[in-house]
Amino acid sequence: MTERIFIANRGEIAVRIIEACDRLGFETVLGVSSADRQTLGARRATRTVVIGGPRPTDSYLNADAVLQAAISTGCTALHPGYGFLSENPDFATKCAENGIVFIGPSPEALRALGDKLTARALAESVGVPVSAGGTATSAAEVHELAESIGYPVLVKAAHGGGGRGMKLVESAADLEEAWSLASSEAESAFGNGTVFLERFVTDAKHVEVQILGDRHGNRIHLGERECSVQFRYQKVVEEAPCAALPEETRTLLHASALKIAVALDYVGLGTVEFLYDVDRDELAFLEVNPRVQVEHPVTEAVTGVDLVREQILATLGHPLEITQDDVLLAGHAIECRITAQDPDKALAPSPGRVTRWRPSVAGGTRLDTHIYEGYLFPPYYDALMGKQIVWAADRDSAIKRMEGVLETFLIEGLKTSLPLLRRIMAHPDYRSNAVTTHWLNHELAQEVR
Amino acid sequence: MNLDLEELAAIIEQLDKTEFTDFRYEKGDLRLHVRRGGQFDEQPAAQSTAAAAPAMSAAPAMSAAPAAAPVPAQVAAPAAAPAAGLDPNNLPAGHVAITSPMLGTYYGAPKPGEPRFAALGDSVEADSVLCIVEVMKLMNSVTAGSTGEIAAVFVADGDLVEFGQTLFALKVAA
Repeated sequence: MTERIFIANRGEIAVRIIEACDRLGFETVLGVSSADRQTLGARRATRTVVIGGPRPTDSYLNADAVLQAAISTGCTALHPGYGFLSENPDFATKCAENGIVFIGPSPEALRALGDKLTARALAESVGVPVSAGGTATSAAEVHELAESIGYPVLVKAAHGGGGRGMKLVESAADLEEAWSLASSEAESAFGNGTVFLERFVTDAKHVEVQILGDRHGNRIHLGERECSVQFRYQKVVEEAPCAALPEETRTLLHASALKIAVALDYVGLGTVEFLYDVDRDELAFLEVNPRVQVEHPVTEAVTGVDLVREQILATLGHPLEITQDDVLLAGHAIECRITAQDPDKALAPSPGRVTRWRPSVAGGTRLDTHIYEGYLFPPYYDALMGKQIVWAADRDSAIKRMEGVLETFLIEGLKTSLPLLRRIMAHPDYRSNAVTTHWLNHELAQEVR
Repeated sequence: MNLDLEELAAIIEQLDKTEFTDFRYEKGDLRLHVRRGGQFDEQPAAQSTAAAAPAMSAAPAMSAAPAAAPVPAQVAAPAAAPAAGLDPNNLPAGHVAITSPMLGTYYGAPKPGEPRFAALGDSVEADSVLCIVEVMKLMNSVTAGSTGEIAAVFVADGDLVEFGQTLFALKVAA
């Protein structure tokens, strides 16, 4: 039987999934919003159906419309990509009830990971290092907890993400207000006001481990990525491996990620995120992202493994074809996210018509994108236009390669993050690998002053 | 996989004993579509709209023949004549398109066997229900929106209709 995969996403990741399906000989049905009829994905899919209006809640987040479209077009499986419905356990359950394979982990795993407090508890229970933190019910308990952690502390939403419902508290005087504010923000944004406290690490690198599991109890990791260049918790530049890790810490990192994969009986692709305190040489578990990541190509570049192919096959029930011993890491890869955002205006969105689109013609690089010349970049969705990926034997060579590629990349018609990406590549802090997660926020704040 | 006439007859015989209005079966290259009610179409939405209508207009009261023998549908060769000469994507002056407000399954009658909400040539009011679109077992009514006469029906029962797809042409009352 030929598999027919419904793709419940848009943009570059929809194209990436279609590509993986094409290589597997699988048919694809892409569900698009009425604003996305002319996208590259819509042109490349075997079939395209319009599932709703431009607003995400009417289309890509409309679970019933997406599921009905997948059923009516005779699809056997559904790939949710990232964002939208990809981490929604109720949606995953509904897919299963209607005989459609959800390309992701089990609804139980999604549920456990969607609650960061549960995820933290799970990590702790299998001996994975977590940062000091916890939750409390009374004001007195919250104060006590904050004192035991030590200021500054971070108030975080248990069901949140992307920096929303998060508050930094410098001293006890601000704690109660931040706690209730974060809780009400979380309540309105995520429908659940549970918040918790975590130590605020001022200088840490963001490191994350790619895991992959099948339905036969096989689980492997595919090394780590570093994603410390972030603006307001949005990743901007990613790389693999994390060159700052001592070998012993790297071994602990990989082993910790695998422990979590085992505890969850993890199926498909997942990413276990950690903070790495360079000065103390300490790891702290953050969360698990139960889906394909935007930055997966850097792992593909250093391992040679087609992660989306492996994810699809594993969730369809095929045993993994690669073992841990087959995973060999070579060289260094960097990914730059090219977004429709204006670096001169604190990365404000800048949708519009792409009048010129001239990627670098340098050989041996990879560009994952859904943009073409003449494309009208819509204002309804996230700002990602494409991901430029380069690979070289070592980090310094990879940076040089990326500089050359970005230098000749030409985009006209709208403001993009290209100038910012060029500045980052040229910056001594980035080149010396001293960047931590708050670095770019500070850099941009200084430029504005 | 090939199916000979005898096997096909056996399948239809089995189906005839059951309650159904629409039966689809797919395996490998084989696609079988059987529908009770005497008309059929099977085409991607973009092309099927025009083809579906003549069958509809030829059998406006399809519910009047509930006992009709199942008809094995031909998959790739629908009648090519456009619906009353109307192009759903380019309606003449004085006509408005009634589009689907959501993706779902189209039904022209409240239930199989019951009279249709509206048929070709019917006069309708703005609040007249013309069809239902089912999304995950939720039935949504589609109303005419203007007073006028149904000039074309572009879809058939059981069709997947997309968001914004033209379902009917309405000749607006002067």
